[in-house]
Parts: sequence; structure tokens; C-alpha cells
Amino acid sequence: MASDTELFVEGADWETVSDAVTDDILTVNMGPQHPSTHGVLRLVLQLDGEVVQRVDPVIGYLHTGIEKNAEYRTWVQGTTFFTRMDYLSPFFNECAYSLGVERLLDIEAPERAQAIRVILMEFNRIASHLVWIATGGMELGAVSLMTYGFREREHILDLFESQTGLRMNHAYIRPGGVAMDVTDDFAERCLALCDLLGDKLGEYEDLLLENPIWNGRLRGVGMITVSDCLRYGITGPLLRSSGMEWDLRKAQPYCGYEQYDFDVPTDDAGDCFSRFLVRMEEMRQSMRIIRQAVDRLPGGPTMVADKRIAWPSQQSLGPDGIGNDPAYIQHIMGESMESLINHFKLVTQGFTVPAGQVYEAVESPRGELGYAITSIGTNRPYRVHVREPSFVNLQATNHMCAGGLIADVVAVVASIDPVMGGVDR
Amino acid sequence: MTALEDLRGRVLAAFPGCEAHVAYGELTIHAPADIVHDVLAWARDDDAVRCELLADLSGVHWPAGDNEIERQPATTGWPAHRMERDRGAIEVSYVVRSLAHNHAFRITVAVDDTQPRLPTATDLWATANAHEREVFDFFGVEFTGHPNLTRILMPDDWVGHPHRKDYPLGGVDIPYDNDKFIPSPDRRGLRQVIE
Repeated sequence: MASDTELFVEGADWETVSDAVTDDILTVNMGPQHPSTHGVLRLVLQLDGEVVQRVDPVIGYLHTGIEKNAEYRTWVQGTTFFTRMDYLSPFFNECAYSLGVERLLDIEAPERAQAIRVILMEFNRIASHLVWIATGGMELGAVSLMTYGFREREHILDLFESQTGLRMNHAYIRPGGVAMDVTDDFAERCLALCDLLGDKLGEYEDLLLENPIWNGRLRGVGMITVSDCLRYGITGPLLRSSGMEWDLRKAQPYCGYEQYDFDVPTDDAGDCFSRFLVRMEEMRQSMRIIRQAVDRLPGGPTMVADKRIAWPSQQSLGPDGIGNDPAYIQHIMGESMESLINHFKLVTQGFTVPAGQVYEAVESPRGELGYAITSIGTNRPYRVHVREPSFVNLQATNHMCAGGLIADVVAVVASIDPVMGGVDR
Repeated sequence: MTALEDLRGRVLAAFPGCEAHVAYGELTIHAPADIVHDVLAWARDDDAVRCELLADLSGVHWPAGDNEIERQPATTGWPAHRMERDRGAIEVSYVVRSLAHNHAFRITVAVDDTQPRLPTATDLWATANAHEREVFDFFGVEFTGHPNLTRILMPDDWVGHPHRKDYPLGGVDIPYDNDKFIPSPDRRGLRQVIE
């Protein structure tokens, strides 16, 4: 056990520490302000020399009470909150929440909206994995990867901005469909972006696959088996890199994923390197899905027809990237008082959702992202609980780090890829 | 869905004390608090169920009063919870998922909100650790046998359980004291739960 002596070190008085320590176990605080902890994660390490005996993750520094806040907002306003949880995968949060609300309402988004959701979610998965490779690479000393990953991600964010108006936190996927239709050049832009990204992924692999430092830092580090993954509730790329072929897109398809032909990449080593391989292959599979979805992007509406639920989405883009459809404004302002009332009630009061409880899960870049939604039949959620994959996966830090070196803690945390906005909610 | 109906039959055959219903395409099992641990162990170990993964664990607070009208059991078919109206309840829901059989269902247990206490599920799934700490933090449910039941998202010295319905959204005094000396976690006199 750690010594009972509590020491406060201010400045260069390391000798006072080394003199006072009677046993070999030292408890050291890493974070919350540490460049390799992906935000504000704090790790309490118990060290025997350089060997980690135990790691206790301490979380909560970014807790913002989003779940509580959502209980005081309408169902549509909920999307603007949940998109800010895991800020690297906003579309997944919006989509899982919207699918849950749609199930309570017993509606289904039109096919075009579903396909748009799939395309944006898969681009979002690539963007999230790019941030993972950028930050993870930087933490292991491959600083050039930082600039490469963020450079390519910027192209994806440009696409998001052109379609939703915002680079992040879009609130674009709403219960019933999507907030507005995509632009005319959407398909063209998507395909061009896929071509670009395909080349760049090859470049990363050329840089990393045979790189001795990359191999040395990742191979055999942070091992976990399938049974331990399940015990700790780990899903997503971590589970797949241990050898279990489990993907909610295949197992419980949503948004029409059953129409697309794609593989679920797995690896059987269960170490940090196999997580790298799995994530790289996942990005390629995402592009396969995007190409298929763009090819057969169906026409039609992007929001359900029911005017009691449908957010007015028939808006055209103005020169500033967002704007109102003149015909729609003419209709509600000049022609139909009832339409104006409906618009006003829909925006201010929202719609009511039948009482019930659903658990809707999607496969986010980090694993199973679940929304447990409870409604009592009012215009606000009674309770929304989010099963955040980062929150759950982080529990295995101790299992993966104990017995390893302190430098490997950085590699392991990077390979878990936690997003603190999602962990702390 | 027939697979869910089949599961429902199995649950009721194994545990006649439970109630089970299918709504919105999901199976929910209402288990009494004294056998919930047995039901969870059964869900994990029974060969035909075999839920290897505890996908989610969360709570919902139903304060004392007339909730049933708002829950509209007549129009949606969603049954009202089992507590009487003069006593508040906290419903804790375990979502368990089987990868082998590709199914998932919910096990719900309602406990009195004045002194909520449940057996821990950390002996069945290690992942329950953080989830139970969260439910303790937000609702005050004590999970007996939990190895480390402390607050997880709120600060350690926070007073109250924010996700209870009687806890306001804003206007709460924030007990941060920047000059205060904060002792190490094992000396903070945190509430220990010992059964």
C-alpha cells in the first residue's frame, strides 16, 4: 500500500519526497490537465518504480448536467443538447436520440432522410477516427500525424458545414427526419471527399505500419481478451480488435444499414496495434457505405409528412448558408392563419410523445451508444439516460495498464479513445 | 415479436414473482427488489438467455403523487409502476444484451425513494461498477456490496442527488470553497455503505 505520508511538492524539492518515502509504492496524479488525457481525465497511478500497479480514473470534471437539462426542454430542443455530449461524434448522438423518440411516436423517417443520416454518420465516424489517429499519434511522438489527421478532418467538417450550417454540434438530425434537405452538389462532394480520404489513409499506413517506434509502442501493449471486454462492458473497435465480430449495424440494423454491403473488421491480438488496424479498416468500410448510399440516394421528402411533428424543413439555403423558403414564409405569414399557429406551437411548445420507455442503441465510433428515454406523454422527456461508450470503456483502464510501464498508460488511454464530453455528460 | 414472447415465457416460468410485458418492441421484466439479483444472475447464466453484456443501468425517479394519469396507461398500454401513490419510487433499469443470441431486454426494479437500497450487480458484471456509482450519485440508491460506492460525476462533497425530481434544475448553492483544504479520498469521511 502507499505510504501514509502526504507530501506537497512545490518546486524543486524532490529530495524531500525521496527521503520521506519508506516503501517503493508512489501514488502519482496524472491529469486532469495533462496533454495526453484527451481533455480532463485524471488518472491516479500507483507506481512501483516505472511499473504501474494500479490506475484509478477520476472523472466528472466536465459534467454539465445535460441529462437533467433535457428534462426541462422540448423533444426537439433535446437534439441540441445531446449533440454536444460526445463532441467528436455529434451525428450519432442526434441519430440515436431521434430514433428513440421516433419509436415512441411510432413513426419512421423517410428513406431519403435515413440515407442522409447514414452518409453523415459514416463521415462522422471517419472524422472521429481521424482525431483519434491525430491525437493518439501525437501522444506517442508522431507529431506530424497530428497535422495530417486534423487536415483531413477539416475537409469532412467543411462538408458538414455546407450541409448543416455548423462544423460541429449540428442539431441536424431531428425526430422525424433531418432539419433540411442536402444541397444539389452533395453527392458530388461526398464522392470527391471519399477519393481524397482513400489516398490519405494509404499515406498514414505507409507512415505507420512498418514504423519501428509505432510498432514498439503499440504491439503487446494494453492487452484485453473478449471475455474481459464483455465483463467490463466494452464494445466497439476495442471489442472487435480482441476478435469478436460484433457491430450493431449488422446485428440490429437501423437507418437501413441492412441494405449496404460492408465488412466488420476484426483482429485477434487485442492490443493497441490491433485497435489501430481495426480503426483504419473501419474508415475504409465507412467509405464503402458512403459510396453505396450516395449512389442510391433516394428522392422524396426529408421529414415525415405529419404536420404535428414535422419541423418545417422545406427551407432553402440563402447566401449565408441558411435561410427560409420564401414560399413557406408567404404561406404562413400571408395565406393561412392556421399554418402560422401550427408553426408557432411547434416551435415554442413542441409535440407530445406517448408515454413509454425505450432503449435505442447505435454503433458509434467508440461502441454502443444507447439512449434510454422515458416519456410520460408530455412535450418534454421525463428522463433521458445516455449509455456512453467512453464512460463504460474507461473502466477497463486499470485492467489494461496494471503491470505495464507508465509510458504505456498513455498508449492505452489513446487506444481507448475516450471523449470527456461523453464520459462526463 | 416471437423471440421476445418466447423470452417472456421463459422469465415467467423461471420467476413467477416477476411481471413482464412487451411494449415498443422491447421486453421489460419487472422484478421485486428481493429477487432482482437472482433474475440478473439467471439472465447472465441461463443457456437460452445468456446475456454476456450489461449494456446499460440507469434510474428514473417517480415521486409520490399521481403519476399514473400522466403516464397514460389506458392509451399506450404502457403499465404504471408498482408502487403506491403515497410513496415515491426509484425505478432502476438494467438493459442486458446477449451477443450469442442477439437479443436485449430490460430488467426493472422499483425501490422506495426514502431509503433506496439494492444488491450490487458488480459480482455479475464488472461494468456495473461505474453505472451503480452514477445511479448512487444521481438518485441516492445504495448498492450493498459495491466495492467503491462514491460519487462519480458530481464533486465528492456535493449535497443531494441531482436527478431526483424534487431537486431543482437551477438555484442550488454551489458548495465550492476555493480556500478549503481537501483531504485525500480515504479521509473525507465519505458515506460508507456496509451491510
